[in-house]
Amino acid sequence: MGLYDTLGVGASGLAAQRARVEALTENIANSETTRTPQGGPYQRRRVVFESAPAAQSFGAVLSRARSRIDGRALEGVRVARLEFETAAPEMRFEPDHPDADKAGYVAYPGFNPIEDMVDLTASVRSYQANLAVIDAVRQMINATIDVTR
Amino acid sequence: MLGPQTHLVTRYLDLLSQSQRVTATNIANADTPGYRTRQLEFGAALRAALDNPAAKSATEQASVRELGTLPVKNDGNDVVLERELQQLSETGIRFSHALLMLKGGLKAVRDAIHEGR
Repeated sequence: MGLYDTLGVGASGLAAQRARVEALTENIANSETTRTPQGGPYQRRRVVFESAPAAQSFGAVLSRARSRIDGRALEGVRVARLEFETAAPEMRFEPDHPDADKAGYVAYPGFNPIEDMVDLTASVRSYQANLAVIDAVRQMINATIDVTR
Repeated sequence: MLGPQTHLVTRYLDLLSQSQRVTATNIANADTPGYRTRQLEFGAALRAALDNPAAKSATEQASVRELGTLPVKNDGNDVVLERELQQLSETGIRFSHALLMLKGGLKAVRDAIHEGR
């Protein structure tokens, strides 16, 4: 039975969504940051997902090695890459600001943090859906064990 | 001793857990660009088991195909989370019902053993 492997698929979804939430939180926290180690205002980060084989249980690896069937790998998800958005900075006239240029303008990040808030809600919803998978599969495993009692 | 029904129930349980795996994959990839909703060929695999109950197909993998009927979003993904959650609970309920049937069959055997003492 592949129920234990299904838990791995759900767990990969949890990990990926958590990485997305982290990036979104960073974006929201830094939506007014004018100074970064790379220089210039903060650039919005965006997490891109891709399908990937989920971590499999020892039993699954063993049985495949033995029977040499099932070439179709289980697919979970993982973070493919972290993209940096290169939107034009928003120039605000603040001559007293330490990061102001000669004309008195400060470069602020040019993205709208509300978009990240919306994404955050969607991400939390996906996280909960993956939790629901793990819970449902856990119940199935428990019920199966219960049959032998 | 347990008869062909038990074999069928076992196959049914196996297919349900495979189906749950496909649903888990769909949910995990709900935000993956270009991913399309997949579905297990449940009916065909169950029919094969019904037509030939003696076959040793209990551990075989049923085929999976892309559904292709859902509206595709801008990122090329067509997973509908609500649909998957419905599949998830439906499969879970079917699974526990099938387990009850299996348990009934096993209980009859167990009772026979105990009463014989």
